[in-house]
Amino acid sequence: MKKRMSLLLAIMLLTISVLAACSGGTAEEPNQGDEGTQQETPNTNEGENTEEPPAEGEDESQGYFEAEDPAANPDTAKNRTDTLIVGMTSPKGVFNPYFWQTAYDKYVVNTVFDTLLEVSGDGTYTESLAESVEVSEDGLTYTYKLKPDVKYSDGTPVTMNDYLFAMKIMLDPKYDGESDMMSLNIVGADEYKNGDATEISGIKVIDDLTVEVTVTEATAVTRDYLGDVALLPESYYGKDFKKGDMDSLKAMHDKPVGSGPYVMTKFSPGQEVVFEANENYFKGAPKIKNLVYKTTTEETRLPMLQSGEIDMDMITVSEDNVEEVKMMGFIDLNIFPTNGYGYVAFNHNLEKFQDQKVRQALMYGLNRAEIVESIYGIYANPLNIPESSVSWAYTDEDVEAYEFDPEKAKALLEEAGWAAGADGTLEKDGEKFTIDFSATADNPVVEALLPIMTANYQDLGIEIKAETLDFNAIMDKKDQGNFEMFFAAWGLTPDPDNTVYITDGAQNDTGYSNETVDKLMKEGKMNLDGPEARAGIYKQMYQEMNKDLPNLFLYQRRDGWAINSRVNGLDITAYKDFPFSLYQAELEQ
Amino acid sequence: MKQYIIRRLLQMIPTLIGISILVFAISSMVPGDYITAKNSPSMTAEKKAELRAIYGLDKPPVERYFTWAGNMAVGNLGDSLQHKQPVTKVINTYVWNSFIIAFFSLIFSWIIAVFTGVLSAKFQYSFFDKMVTLLVFLCMSLPSFFIGLLLIKVFALELGWLPIGGMTTAGSKATGWGYFVDVLEHSFLPILVLTMISTGSLTRYFRTSMLEVIRQDYIRTARAKGLKERTVIFKHALRNAMLPAITLMGFELPALFGGAIILEKVFVWPGIGQVYLESITVRDYPFMLGFTIFLAVLTLIGNLISDVLYGAADPRIRLK
Repeated sequence: MKKRMSLLLAIMLLTISVLAACSGGTAEEPNQGDEGTQQETPNTNEGENTEEPPAEGEDESQGYFEAEDPAANPDTAKNRTDTLIVGMTSPKGVFNPYFWQTAYDKYVVNTVFDTLLEVSGDGTYTESLAESVEVSEDGLTYTYKLKPDVKYSDGTPVTMNDYLFAMKIMLDPKYDGESDMMSLNIVGADEYKNGDATEISGIKVIDDLTVEVTVTEATAVTRDYLGDVALLPESYYGKDFKKGDMDSLKAMHDKPVGSGPYVMTKFSPGQEVVFEANENYFKGAPKIKNLVYKTTTEETRLPMLQSGEIDMDMITVSEDNVEEVKMMGFIDLNIFPTNGYGYVAFNHNLEKFQDQKVRQALMYGLNRAEIVESIYGIYANPLNIPESSVSWAYTDEDVEAYEFDPEKAKALLEEAGWAAGADGTLEKDGEKFTIDFSATADNPVVEALLPIMTANYQDLGIEIKAETLDFNAIMDKKDQGNFEMFFAAWGLTPDPDNTVYITDGAQNDTGYSNETVDKLMKEGKMNLDGPEARAGIYKQMYQEMNKDLPNLFLYQRRDGWAINSRVNGLDITAYKDFPFSLYQAELEQ
Repeated sequence: MKQYIIRRLLQMIPTLIGISILVFAISSMVPGDYITAKNSPSMTAEKKAELRAIYGLDKPPVERYFTWAGNMAVGNLGDSLQHKQPVTKVINTYVWNSFIIAFFSLIFSWIIAVFTGVLSAKFQYSFFDKMVTLLVFLCMSLPSFFIGLLLIKVFALELGWLPIGGMTTAGSKATGWGYFVDVLEHSFLPILVLTMISTGSLTRYFRTSMLEVIRQDYIRTARAKGLKERTVIFKHALRNAMLPAITLMGFELPALFGGAIILEKVFVWPGIGQVYLESITVRDYPFMLGFTIFLAVLTLIGNLISDVLYGAADPRIRLK
């Protein structure tokens, strides 16, 4: 009897974990999850010269909203004169620029370490540790020069030997971080990674302050990505480092040493990360002496802001949250377009989705404005091209807005040869038009999308059959090509180049193929003349995508930081995370 | 007795092997792995394959099981993919925070449950009994996140007596007594809520078992020989009524270390429950499997302990 009890319990435990598995996957998807996982590349959006989103007159959905009643600040916050407390989801303790696993680990990394180039507010890169960058005529040789006399917080000087060390880590055969240096085609990288070479022939340290990197093939992002490398002291990290053995580095994940604006003094897992200002910071000593990253959860963010226990946190931008924050009176809000978008994917290998007219009909026939409004209120807008409205590559010229128009949709379907059958469902060559929709469980977007989509499409004579699955299960189906339609979100990198829409691209798992898109994406990638020249190419590409519809572009929502009004001087944009401007932040006394 | 314990410990081995196969099989049937869960937009197919090879995710499940079980046999649970640290170290970092809350709420809820259970059995259907029943069911049926948020609103936001969440004040450098008081203030609400939730069923349990016992003949005999009512209830009746509670005690062992997922989120308590839930979401299999096995072992040991204690406490049961 008793033995049976124990087994029963163990099985119960299992069932619980499986049940949990079935509901857990998407919890964060529509919020921070999609951005959190991507390899963001820094952008410095200093001059807030963002274009307006396509939906007209939506100023109140984004921008910087000053607090109306700063005097209402609670004493808890006011009395904390030399400490800034930032609330965030708990970092995991992987505080190494080449190994971090979550966006929150990355916040710590960006506070403790510096890169040669860093992102500005508009998604382009500017010099940080680097003094200058030179690119050879043929675009194959990149020379980075360091600013002189920069030191790590342990006193050792920053040199380009550390750059070589960084590359050796990221090209190590056992490297399990996410940086993908192989994609940059550095000369000798393959011999180092997959062969016996002990040096990388394409990386030459000319002197302490100069490094020269040679590549076999250059692209538009080579200069930025080679420069977006954080430097850490080889004297500290390299003590026991051997090629093919990452263990010595792993032991140092929670004891980082870098050259950044703050020095980490304490890490309590699940509770807080404590920093002290780096008085010798090369951009100038930070004005706030102490910095704490305190763990918060979705439930406690707003209460903690209200009580003054934290000074700032990233909030889910919804009408309720924004209103609540504004009611507090002493909190500034910085709301900007999320670096990503939600979409409904088609399986392009299925015949019914191969006709451009059918895809256009599905776009016209879907009331996207209503869906977006019901989920995010004013804090999202329907999107017509797969690019952020604040990117330099964005365009709304000659872009069809696909306003809800069932009549047009019906006409297009008819042109495509679909006619109503006996029961009102559309038919073509004896095949009924039904769509199997793989719906993510517990996803607020899907919950709002599905009923509207089902009703809208029924009106056109198309039947939606929904099957609810865990997020990971859908991703699995996607990888196997075993799906018809699903909802998901993509995070965007500052650079528009990606492989999502090119034929057989690494990320293209919907089978989409369009020669014009392939050609223009390649042209944009290979153009070394900078953003202005490339923007024209991407404009054409997005116009083509807008017409051809690789998927149903749904919406771009907003991200927002709630910041206590006593904090001044931060510069946060869709591309530039808050750690990059911490050194210039001030507390009002 | 010693023989019995050794035999039971040996019997645990096949049970554990069975559990490990089950747990592993279920986890490998669940779609997706750490790489798919990341859904990184900039990761190329080659990079994905490379990472899967480094993590050993590219091998067939049977081979993976034997690697995993083999390592586990020598005490190596592997490295957590998300924390990039040994699983045992991650468990050790978080589990004691969960233990603090679970331990104190266990003590409080048992003390409260024993007294209220006994009294409401003694005065069955009295006003006191009805009030206790009402209160107990109220606490049991309100979801923990609701009570938690309500208490935060009242005690932390409106009255300002207690902090909202976390385990210590941010950036606090207090040590010794100061640290203790700080943790005490932060743990007050979570312990309160956990006690409220778990007291309910225990109270009902003790009440029932007490009601059964006080109808027995030997209680009548005790009263007949002129013993004081207090002696009858607390000495003769309670001791017998507590016997089934030993079994309950055994089940509390895994609960002490299992963490309280929802409560930890509401109060931002740095416990293991949240970490466990997250490991399932991101498919951090080494941690998820390691912690499940850890709980399974605790369950088995808890069972063994309660069996042994039962034998010691109840002369009618003889362990051989």
